[in-house]
Amino acid sequence: MSTLSRADTSLLGRWWWTVDRWTLAAIGMLIGFGYVMMLAASPAVAERIHVARDSFILKQVVFLAAAGCVVVVVSLLSPKGVRRVALVGCVIALLLTALTLVAGTEIKGARRWVSLPGMSLQPSEFLKPCFAVVAAWLLAEGQRETTRMRRMAWPALAVVIAGLIGVLLRAQPDMGMMAVIMGVFFIQLFLNGLNLFVAGGLLGLFGVGGVAAYYTISHVRSRVDRFLDPSSGDNWQVMRAQEAFGAGGLLGRGPGEGHVKDLIPDAHADFIFAVAGEEFGMIICLLILGVFAFIVLRALLRLLHERDHYVVLATAGLASGFGLQAFVNMASTLRLIPTKGMTLPFISYGGSSALAVAVGIGMLLALTRRRHNGDLL
Amino acid sequence: MSGRDDQREGHPHDMAAPSPSSVAHRFGAPAAAGVPRMEHVQVTAPDLARRAAMERTRGRLVIAAAGFAVLFLAVVGKLADATIIDPQLPRPVAQMRRPEPPPPLPPDGAIQSAAAAASHDFGTRVERAAILDRNGEIMAISLPTAALFANPREMIDPADAARKLATAVPRLNEKMMARRLATDKQFVYLARHLSPREQLTINTLGIPGVYFEKTERRRYPLGRVAAQVLGGVDVDGKGVAGVERFFDQRLRDEPDPLRLSIDVRVQAVVRDELDQAMVEFNAIGATGIVMDVRTGEVLAMVSLPDYDANDVGHATADQRFNRAVTGMYEPGSTFKLQTASMALDSGAAQLWYQYDAADVIHIGRFTITDFEGKHRWLYFPEVLAYSSNLGAARMALSVGAEKQREWLRRMGMFGRLGIELPEAGMPIVQPASRWKEVVTMTVGFGHGIAVSPLHVVRGTAAVANGGILLRPTILARPPDAPPPKGERVMQQSTSDIMRKMMRLVVTDGYGKTAEVPGYFVGGKTGTAEKVGGKGGYRKHTNVAAFMSVFPMNAPRYAVYMMLDEPKANASTHGYATAGWVAAPAAGRVIARIGPMLGLLPATDDAAAIQATLAVPLQPGKPPGAHQPPLLIGEPSRPVPRPPTHVAPPARDAARAPGRMPARLPVMAPPPRDARHEAMLAPGPAPVSGRQTVAVR
Repeated sequence: MSTLSRADTSLLGRWWWTVDRWTLAAIGMLIGFGYVMMLAASPAVAERIHVARDSFILKQVVFLAAAGCVVVVVSLLSPKGVRRVALVGCVIALLLTALTLVAGTEIKGARRWVSLPGMSLQPSEFLKPCFAVVAAWLLAEGQRETTRMRRMAWPALAVVIAGLIGVLLRAQPDMGMMAVIMGVFFIQLFLNGLNLFVAGGLLGLFGVGGVAAYYTISHVRSRVDRFLDPSSGDNWQVMRAQEAFGAGGLLGRGPGEGHVKDLIPDAHADFIFAVAGEEFGMIICLLILGVFAFIVLRALLRLLHERDHYVVLATAGLASGFGLQAFVNMASTLRLIPTKGMTLPFISYGGSSALAVAVGIGMLLALTRRRHNGDLL
Repeated sequence: MSGRDDQREGHPHDMAAPSPSSVAHRFGAPAAAGVPRMEHVQVTAPDLARRAAMERTRGRLVIAAAGFAVLFLAVVGKLADATIIDPQLPRPVAQMRRPEPPPPLPPDGAIQSAAAAASHDFGTRVERAAILDRNGEIMAISLPTAALFANPREMIDPADAARKLATAVPRLNEKMMARRLATDKQFVYLARHLSPREQLTINTLGIPGVYFEKTERRRYPLGRVAAQVLGGVDVDGKGVAGVERFFDQRLRDEPDPLRLSIDVRVQAVVRDELDQAMVEFNAIGATGIVMDVRTGEVLAMVSLPDYDANDVGHATADQRFNRAVTGMYEPGSTFKLQTASMALDSGAAQLWYQYDAADVIHIGRFTITDFEGKHRWLYFPEVLAYSSNLGAARMALSVGAEKQREWLRRMGMFGRLGIELPEAGMPIVQPASRWKEVVTMTVGFGHGIAVSPLHVVRGTAAVANGGILLRPTILARPPDAPPPKGERVMQQSTSDIMRKMMRLVVTDGYGKTAEVPGYFVGGKTGTAEKVGGKGGYRKHTNVAAFMSVFPMNAPRYAVYMMLDEPKANASTHGYATAGWVAAPAAGRVIARIGPMLGLLPATDDAAAIQATLAVPLQPGKPPGAHQPPLLIGEPSRPVPRPPTHVAPPARDAARAPGRMPARLPVMAPPPRDARHEAMLAPGPAPVSGRQTVAVR
């Protein structure tokens, strides 16, 4: 891109000189890891489910290429554009999520997917970044109001939408997604200056919700029970994943030498981190983890210099959503937390997931572009 | 650029080109509004509040970032834990083996040397350690082989591949392979245990989709010899019985060969003699044991019928049954060595004591008789030499149930052997609550208790070796190991007398057929009738055993030979008793293994040695000494008991007042009817408590 002159004022030229190129490079690295991991893990899975050996790889090539384009295209937007896209996306995603309850495809006991030609879409994946932006906008609008009543009205609207999302996700059920969306919303409220007592109270509510989920939702309970007492139930995938990490050690068995992908049905999706651990070892896993941490922490810390409240909240929300998703995936693969089916952004197989993450990261890049007084340079 | 920010210090562009017309764009103010740069900035109250809020937000951003840092560090920690600190290693069963590439082919001329190198490499390449006998002979060894498997999906022409394979290695079944290769699978086994040569042949065919899996095959060069001791392995190389099972983990973990105490030469001799005796007397089974009485090492352990250890999968249950340690048999008269030692050691008997063997004993529904009884009172040595049940029963009675149980427990007759074989069984023993006098008497001559042959050997070894009970072991002791620590179970003097007794059995008693000149064999016969299905004893169905130790002047080895249900023949004059069937076999074994074990027959000074072992059948009573009359059981005379033996008055004593003072064998016949009533009455009452022992 060195051909782009600093004086170039075309759309791409201005984008290139204002976008956060470090984060862009990190995203590029993750996409690269995603290709490598798909080459490693998916042939075994493809053979097991009797589809062409390379079908996953070819699809993922398309998905990741599309995701890369989405990142770039979305990051061309202005903060206002991001807000508009998010608002529209949020409404559509909410409607589609509601639709899953009546016309969804049921996979493994949950109705989370809408079937589209060629792929199945999980609308709640798109809901996550869109709602983060919408919530940020509503909270920021609240900050601008002068009267106490109106200052409370905007956040109240955000809380209502969050509640609606909660009800929908509870009905699916998709407690993991709900936890991430609510977690992100909580972080935004917290950054918005939520009273610490209220924040503590909300955390307590989270705890109560978790306990309630444990007692009212059987699969949540069984997951937690199996996590606390591995011998109490079927921990097959997680235990195989632990063995994969153990077998990989520091440097890994070497590309293509892993066994865990032969054993774990979800090796190419939720358990991709275990494949990475077995074949490439701890060092590469640390590198992947480092890239995720870099993206999240850089986004959050760069906001210290940002003065637009909406941008701060939206970026923090997007970064938190991204970071939480990565954390939940890696931590549950490592048996740090109970198993929760969640993809590792850009690295796990899955079109819907890759596109949704790309939308979120695109928005994040759009919001973190260097601006002057809210206008793009 | 539509706006300027006066608060943004250090922005080179702003500083370099301050334009009077430019306006400062305050945060929060509408984009169109602005104030001149150099004018007073009026900060409104909402503006201040907004700035305060922004400061708070920045503080909280740091907190949020720190929170994420903590989360990611937790993942780092767990990742390090899972990969390098405490890695979970795959369980063997979960491990899918991938084929390792076959070793590079050596140039043609080098095949020989490569094979030599491979054979030299056996010890390190195989995963299961070898088993050696005490002299280093190979008893079990793993040879590297290869399993052939295929991925039919990678095959171009499965039928052709099957044909080629069958042509190259004729023992492979073409039809079977073709059928398996025709399936829509990715993994089919075609053959196990290919030799390196067969592997090479198949490899040169160059068939795609055919792979080798490194395996190994357990071979037992001795076949049937020591089959039950070794046990065997299943198709996956896992020990299924015997040493292979007991030391399964050890054989996998440590590459060093496992050295057993077995001496394959002795083992082969014992098996040979047992096999001959079994055929000669048409027995259903047989077992033989040779043990070093000073260390507890088992040099030979044979159980017939046996099986080829290479083919344990096809062995019948009867063949796999190790009679030496799993079989629980009533030991019969070999147990009289225990009774005699116990009586001597506890002071309840002296060599010159006499025991009433004139008449059978009726007790309850049992009648105790002597086989070929002398029908007279017998001296202590005669009880053993003539194997008198009556004498042994009275001897046991003179010691008492409590001491008898204590003795047997110390002799290890109530527990497992501690030998390193998974098959080692538990003796069948009456609980203390049912250990009545009749049990004391019958156990005195080896009935009413069932122990394994190795129990008998172990106990007899202790009797012969000076009174030290050793744990029997199947492992060879290192040559420089200190002598094993056993438990002293009797006085040295008792052992000394018992050695003479055992020698007497062979010189003057029923064990004469075991004599081997120059080896000073001592021993004891034992013929126990087998318990039938209905609980009673079956006549003419017995277990005949000979328990011997040699040489008696300085005991080294115990030799036990037992035949299960031998049938009499003309050469034994119609007898199928131990003295006729087991003792000669034991003698032959001793004659053959003695030289192997470095013991040469002492023929030169035989007379002198025999003199040290000699003891009269009817020793004279020392002047002034007398046998406690109670033990003789004179029915009509009250016998005063030593004070230590005072026990609460027995029920019979109450029934026959004045006749018996207290305790123990009330050697008087109550009216026969009364006894029968007592025994026939239902419930446990009649047999509980002290019981009348009738002598007729």
